[in-house]
Amino acid sequence: MAEFSSPAALIAACKATREAGYTKLDAYTPYPIEEVWEAIGHHRSKLPLIVLAGGLAGATAGFLLQYWASVIEYPLNIGGRPLNSWVAFIVPTFETTILFAAFSAVLGMFALNGLPRPYHPVFNVKNFSAASRDSYFLMIGTNDPQFDSEKTRSLLESLGAKEVSEVAE
Amino acid sequence: MSQGPDTLMGKPPVVAPGHTSGSVTDKISSIVLERTPRWWWVGFGIAFLLVQLLLLSLTKLVLEGTGIWGLNIPVGWGFAIINFVWWIGIGHAGTLISAILLLLRQDWRTSINRFAEAMTLFAVACAGIFPLIHVGRPWLAYWLLPYPNTMGLWPQFRSPLIWDVFAVTTYALVSLLFWYVGLIPDLATLRDRSRRKWKKIVYGFGAMGWRGSAVHWHNYEVAYLLLAGLATPLVVSVHTVVSFDFAVGQIAGWHATIFPPYFVAGAIFAGFAMVLTLAIPLRAAFNLQDFITLRHIQNMAKVMLATGLIVAYGYMVEIFMAFYSGNQYEEFMLLNRIGGPYKYHWWALLLCNVLAPQILWIRAVRSRPWIVFLAAMFVNVGMWLERFVIVVTSLHRDFLPSSWGMYSGTFWDWATFVGTIGLFLALLFLFLRFLPMISIFEMRTILPEAKRPKESSS
Amino acid sequence: MTDGLALPADTDLSAPASLDGVRRRAWMVATVGIAASGLGFALDSTQFYRSYLVAWLFWLGIALGCFALGLLHQLTRGAWGLMVRRILGAATRTFPLLALLFIPIVLGMKELYLWAQPEVVAHDELIQQKLWYLEPRFFIARAVFYFAVWISIAWVLNRLSLRQDSERSHKLFRRMQFFAGPGLVLYALTATFASVDWLMSLDPHWYSSIFGISFIGGHAVSALAWLIPVALYFTRRPPLEGLLRPRHFHDYGKLLLAFVMLWTYFQLSQLIIIWSGNLPEEVKWYLARTEGGWKWISIALALGHFALPFVLLLSRDLKRDARRLASVALILLAMRWLDLYWLAAPAFSHGDSHAGLSFHWLDLATVFAVGGLWTAFYTQQLQRRPMLPVFEPYLGEALEDED
Repeated sequence: MAEFSSPAALIAACKATREAGYTKLDAYTPYPIEEVWEAIGHHRSKLPLIVLAGGLAGATAGFLLQYWASVIEYPLNIGGRPLNSWVAFIVPTFETTILFAAFSAVLGMFALNGLPRPYHPVFNVKNFSAASRDSYFLMIGTNDPQFDSEKTRSLLESLGAKEVSEVAE
Repeated sequence: MSQGPDTLMGKPPVVAPGHTSGSVTDKISSIVLERTPRWWWVGFGIAFLLVQLLLLSLTKLVLEGTGIWGLNIPVGWGFAIINFVWWIGIGHAGTLISAILLLLRQDWRTSINRFAEAMTLFAVACAGIFPLIHVGRPWLAYWLLPYPNTMGLWPQFRSPLIWDVFAVTTYALVSLLFWYVGLIPDLATLRDRSRRKWKKIVYGFGAMGWRGSAVHWHNYEVAYLLLAGLATPLVVSVHTVVSFDFAVGQIAGWHATIFPPYFVAGAIFAGFAMVLTLAIPLRAAFNLQDFITLRHIQNMAKVMLATGLIVAYGYMVEIFMAFYSGNQYEEFMLLNRIGGPYKYHWWALLLCNVLAPQILWIRAVRSRPWIVFLAAMFVNVGMWLERFVIVVTSLHRDFLPSSWGMYSGTFWDWATFVGTIGLFLALLFLFLRFLPMISIFEMRTILPEAKRPKESSS
Repeated sequence: MTDGLALPADTDLSAPASLDGVRRRAWMVATVGIAASGLGFALDSTQFYRSYLVAWLFWLGIALGCFALGLLHQLTRGAWGLMVRRILGAATRTFPLLALLFIPIVLGMKELYLWAQPEVVAHDELIQQKLWYLEPRFFIARAVFYFAVWISIAWVLNRLSLRQDSERSHKLFRRMQFFAGPGLVLYALTATFASVDWLMSLDPHWYSSIFGISFIGGHAVSALAWLIPVALYFTRRPPLEGLLRPRHFHDYGKLLLAFVMLWTYFQLSQLIIIWSGNLPEEVKWYLARTEGGWKWISIALALGHFALPFVLLLSRDLKRDARRLASVALILLAMRWLDLYWLAAPAFSHGDSHAGLSFHWLDLATVFAVGGLWTAFYTQQLQRRPMLPVFEPYLGEALEDED
């Protein structure tokens, strides 16, 4: 775990460690930095698909609820309108679509991020609380095939890290 | 690079120069973490008293029924619906600022979105009270929800009032999600910066273990954009459904196809007026002129002017169609608004909503916060009057002159309305005290220091 | 980057000469279309006027849409619009031609509009009440006024934009912005009344107050559906070759998606309100459009003007691929014509809901006649100006090569 004082230094360090062959990288920053995500070399998020599925489920559920209640379970003639008044059913169907999709987005984001997780070893790092203020951290996993306590430390230090520490699992 | 043309255009900056990631964090979190200022207690105290008035009115209502209001036949819809529409319209600006401006990549949304979203939630809470108490027996309001029950009954899905239940519930939940998701990284900041153990635990609980890792941020940003994409059509649908409450019926003055877009524009108009009404005093009170700059005020004034023009367009088309239609009821409805018993309401509404905002065409006016504030106050009043005119003047002259009547609010009508204003303000004061009113992490992204790496890489 | 210029001052930005070829082909199409329309006119003048009205409104919609989009951009100054400012601007200089092409509608007024037929009006009390507005001379005067407004706003802005090029000054954008606000207001008002005059009054009993906004929403879709294929054409030819990038098309795709959703929103609002209100004088308008073969046109519009483009435009990859985006745009362009046809043609059966749907070959011939002429004129206008406004302060941002 290495602490940097500027986003530019962190991005440079991400690129350098990747070039050195490390793959198990993660970075901690006070605000989203797209370049860090790219430098660490990750792929597209699966979230849009989850949300699409949620939206479709919401639309189906919303329409079927109305259809079932108005046509099958409790058919009632209202001003001569057809039992399956699809024009009127558009509105609640739209709302359930949005509702389901929005919940899929938030719950999906939590699931993909492994939250909620009240305790995590990185919280033990000295000065880690500054990651939510103005410090930029780069972490190399100990399970990385390239990982070597001494070499990794010296690499990080050579990249201009303010402080390098090891995090116990 | 992007600074160049802005300076050329003479636009004030979005953040005052000289701020760093650290100073922004300290300034905004200090509002929450430092001692409570005295004026806060005064303001909160007044709001709290008004909340008591609300509770009193509600108790009286539950004990005695809706007879304590000014409702009658033919005017069966009065203050409750007027206030409901007024509040829910105000709520729309928050979602608009946070969702639509995000999609349009407008960086000036950053310092106002958090508190505009909070405003949305509180306004929706105030709005939600009215239909609930208006049903007469609020303890049976859950009958509106579709659930299998021993009575074998289902809601009437062809009714716009049920659409309202779906739309407003969805809107409240999605707004809450949107607001909470936006808060998570800031709750982590507060967790890391508060000195007391219990505060750490409370904020930490809300932050859900947020660590700000690159994976977190990536999924987070995707989720936030998707939520914005979903919230945008949602917010349009909500006021559309509200307009359906009227337009789907056959009353002249209500049954107009222009209602959906015209109501949505009116909602944004009212909402921006309320954001300005709150933001201008707040930036003075908390010395936030560095973050809520003239740029924000100018832009919000422009949005207010533009949506105000759409509302004016709505009035014009209504007038034209009443005469073009050749329908005697439509024509009478309009003549009754212009010269009938409620003519002063109608003319005052034109003054507030159409005439007053026109001063915002002038650039120099948009740069004077207190004049903008005054225009916004006009709009706040005007939009309430608009709903009054739509509801009351359309109903009080029924199709048959034998069923004509008049309507005016009673003491309890006014007490409930003023009480919800108190509730709104009380919630707002609590929010200002306990949560960061400006999104800290998003402020960091619009600072010059965050822009530097982007340019070096391109 | 001296003078804040995004491009070197000596860059050749004149429109490609290959437009000459396009113009030749447009003339050929126009000649065939006009000949066919002339023949059709001789055979059945009423049918000619009916087909011609839809064709003319279709091309006018593209020009008005480009006009409105250009004004919106002058006002808001997003980076998205600078790349296509001149492509939009050329369309706004076609108003004089479109005004000229209005003459056949004046000549055919009696055959098109019931309220212009004294023998019908004499037996129809409702139309008699509307004669203060639906009156032939007033109708013509209003049309003259609309075109006067559109031509003068377009003229002022085009001239300022040209002066900006020759005076090499950054200052004129403020003046253009100053005209754009009132310009948009005037556009919205004139387009609303024009929609009542030219389309809604085909069914003189019916009225719907959202109609004007729907008409404007249609213009927005027309403009982007036209703009995207034209921009695609320029991506392969200098001077815009290499400057129009996937991210620009991404923006146009998003705008197209937004406008498609808006159009749908207006249509649904009107449908839900009229369907639920179920008033005899209103709902018959929908009955005429959902009975007989018209039901299939309604379904085709729901699918082609909304469902299909909506699903396709959700994809980020599609929006960034100019070719695939352009094919979606072309579908929508066809749908724009179908929408206008759906609005206009059922009114000609005059309440006889069993008349059903029948396309006429003149429907196609008139589209080619007006379209050929308009495109020929349009390409000529394109060649009159440099393809980019070099002195726009935000042009640098628009040209930036990010993401």
